[in-house]
Amino acid sequence: MKQLKELYDYREMIFSLVKKDLRGRYKGSVLGFLWTFINPLLQLMVFTLVFSIIMRAGYEQYYLFLFVALVPWMFFASSVQDGSTSILREKDMVKKIYFPREVLPIATVTSGFVNMLLTFIVIFVVLIFSGRGINPLAVLCLPVVMIVQYILCLGIALIVASLTVYLRDLQYILGILVMALQYMTPVMYGSDMVPDWALPIFRMNPLTPVIEIYRQILYYKQIPHLTSLLLAFCTGVVFIVIGELLFRKLQKGFAENF
Amino acid sequence: MMDERNAIEVRNITKTFKVYYDKGTELKEKMLFWKRNRYENKDVLKNVSFEVKKGEAIGLVGKNGCGKSTTLKMLTKIIYPNSGEIEMQGRVSSLIELGAGFHPDMSGRENIYTNASIFGLTKKEIDARLDDIIRFSELEEYIDNPVRTYSSGMYTRLAFSVAINVDADILLIDEILAVGDANFQAKCFNKLREIKAEGTTIVIVSHSLGQIEQICDRSIWIRDGHIALEGNPKDVHMEYLNYMNEQRIDRLERERTDMQIREMNERNDVNKNKKRYGSEDAKFTTIRMLDKDGNEQSTFKTGDEMILDLDYHVEQKVTDAVFGFGIFRNDGLWCYGTNTRIDRMKNFDLEKDGNFKVAITDLNLIPGQYWCDITIEYGEGNPVDYYKQAMKFEVVSNVTDVGISRIPHNWELNL
Repeated sequence: MKQLKELYDYREMIFSLVKKDLRGRYKGSVLGFLWTFINPLLQLMVFTLVFSIIMRAGYEQYYLFLFVALVPWMFFASSVQDGSTSILREKDMVKKIYFPREVLPIATVTSGFVNMLLTFIVIFVVLIFSGRGINPLAVLCLPVVMIVQYILCLGIALIVASLTVYLRDLQYILGILVMALQYMTPVMYGSDMVPDWALPIFRMNPLTPVIEIYRQILYYKQIPHLTSLLLAFCTGVVFIVIGELLFRKLQKGFAENF
Repeated sequence: MMDERNAIEVRNITKTFKVYYDKGTELKEKMLFWKRNRYENKDVLKNVSFEVKKGEAIGLVGKNGCGKSTTLKMLTKIIYPNSGEIEMQGRVSSLIELGAGFHPDMSGRENIYTNASIFGLTKKEIDARLDDIIRFSELEEYIDNPVRTYSSGMYTRLAFSVAINVDADILLIDEILAVGDANFQAKCFNKLREIKAEGTTIVIVSHSLGQIEQICDRSIWIRDGHIALEGNPKDVHMEYLNYMNEQRIDRLERERTDMQIREMNERNDVNKNKKRYGSEDAKFTTIRMLDKDGNEQSTFKTGDEMILDLDYHVEQKVTDAVFGFGIFRNDGLWCYGTNTRIDRMKNFDLEKDGNFKVAITDLNLIPGQYWCDITIEYGEGNPVDYYKQAMKFEVVSNVTDVGISRIPHNWELNL
């Protein structure tokens, strides 16, 4: 409780770190912040080109099928990878001054989250213009799944951020792991393509329900099942509790391990 | 539980640093060379306890590496003790590393927001302090320029202004008043007094004992990880300085012995030493500096007694001889010189080997390094053995008066 209050007191620091990160991302480029929108749009154009002309997949409007899952996936991937170095990157500050160290992974994950929200503007525009349309009732569930994913990502970021301080190799190991996990999560395919015998293992992946819910809402225009939302939420809570406990224990040695 | 009247309670803290011989943080290194991860435990603080009352200002003093900065870092919660507890009440601000999180491309104003947010201030709180911060930094004209265009002085001024305007309940300071020009230093110092008067608890680590004496109510002297003494700053500092001087004398003595052996060898190698000239009818053979107890010594405190003990060898009779000595500061300034003629001693001849002593009863020199020249001359002033820089000695003192010599004086204040 005390920690939560302290983090609340440091909200301005989180905001300013997020702002710095978002503004710094495309710094020096002519189009600047516009890239936040141009980048996913161009990506989407490539997908459309490749998947509707060259490599035709079994799903209609496959580029949309892929894109609505890929954007949340990229948020997860950046949370893990940028999150793992979030403490190391700011080691000068950690060595010199006190602030609740959780601020750093929180800011990293939040900035990835905001970036995803901005990309969603592109998603909605494309959904409407491609003729697929949206189901307003289903979209109401979108904030819930976003928050659930945020909690899950933050939990994992807390774990990897604190461990990476002690074992630097982790940041590179995570690069491979995240890539492997992408193929084990229904991002490029649907879970209907998974053979029955592999389903139990497939279901153990905490990202699977989250990604499926995104797709259900945006691609299939369905209201997600409460049970799958609840399951995803519980997974997120477990991760954030473990993450915080581990982080709190390991953070005491941060300044001495750079 | 904490006493209500205390701002800081430190109870039995011990801090051990692991000093690795060869540390590996990569997985490969950890697995392959796990034997290599040998380390030595270095105890920086051993079972230290102290309390600081609300509104009190204390100073931590001690020589380099004694653990005082480590203590401050633990109070800041940058590092944690291995055992023991630290409890604090209130918002803590630290002037340990100024300008943490400053971004060179952002303007001074934006950096104020970033930097203050690191101290846990909200936007509203920063807005309310913005004018004060800018005014204190005296950077009104430059506040919207990027920080990379600032001089280092401007940079520190801005950082200090932010840190000091946080309105903390507890302020931790490490060697901070050594920044900026004289005017800004004075301003910071006054601000610190003002903050103290408002009831802020202050902990200062500094080598500038004078600053601690001006601000602090109490000093804690940490020696080798223990609290050696605590109490009134003036008393503690006096003890501390005495201890430091003794350490210094010890060390210089060791160095001197080494140096003397080297110099002796050199002297034997080069018969015609340029530092030495004269007819050589008589020559100094042994040269010693003694303290009042007759021990050989080359470091003296201002006001100590110093005795020059000199043996000479006579080759050929020297009639109407004169002994003399001179003291030069290491930059060549001639501090004092005299001889037996000037001092109106009876005339004498040198016929066989002998010895003489000069007792300087009050060595009233200001701290520094000095050379001593010694001479044997003929009555009319020609050198028999003029030995330049025959001895080197050092003067130390607790008192920080300036100049060349301590002129005995008394103050009488009619207030």
